[in-house]
Amino acid sequence: MFDIILRSKTEILLKGRLDASQAEKAKETFVKVAETCVVDFQDLEYISSAGMGILLMTQKRLSEKGNSLKFINVNKHIRDIFRYAGFDRIFEII
Amino acid sequence: MNKIFKRNIGSLDEIFDFIAEFLTAYRINDQVSFQLKLIVEELFTNTIKYQPSSKKDISIGLEKADNRIIIRIVDSDVEPFDITRTAGVDVNKPLGEKRAGGLGIHLVKYLVDNIDYTYKDRQSTITLTKILEQKDV
Repeated sequence: MFDIILRSKTEILLKGRLDASQAEKAKETFVKVAETCVVDFQDLEYISSAGMGILLMTQKRLSEKGNSLKFINVNKHIRDIFRYAGFDRIFEII
Repeated sequence: MNKIFKRNIGSLDEIFDFIAEFLTAYRINDQVSFQLKLIVEELFTNTIKYQPSSKKDISIGLEKADNRIIIRIVDSDVEPFDITRTAGVDVNKPLGEKRAGGLGIHLVKYLVDNIDYTYKDRQSTITLTKILEQKDV
């Protein structure tokens, strides 16, 4: 079960399990982001490379105009995976 | 434990249920549970992505032996695809040069202690070993 909620133009909430079968659903929301945006991981239990690829492509697109994604409430397991992928160098993880 | 899964992305829910059953049986901790799900998903989706011509189902095996978890993915009627020989991903590249491709296999390689690949009669078998520490169970 995965859900993504666009709370406002600058805040996204992720819930559940973002695996490859849910990546398209996540992408549909992230392509709408046009300015610096906070992504709340409070209720996200799991993410794989498919979801991480969407975050990466969004960050690349936003950075062209000086904007970015910022992550909050990232659990330890996801934080570890982000570190292995080098995400801690390209995203602000609060 | 061993189970056969249909060759499509819709099998992931069933695969996660299968992994959960294994994790519960052996009381594996949350950190390794997360990693095991990631390893299996990445290999399964990689197989679907890079072997689109095969119509055969995919076998996933999970086994715990002493302080090791052994993961085995068997894929039939496929071309050889040896993940041990895939190019690594440079995670230190600046954002502008980063690509999403290859990240899944990079993570798999990071998370396991050994990978063995065999190919015979158009069948690929990937066997991965993850060594557990005392805190993991």
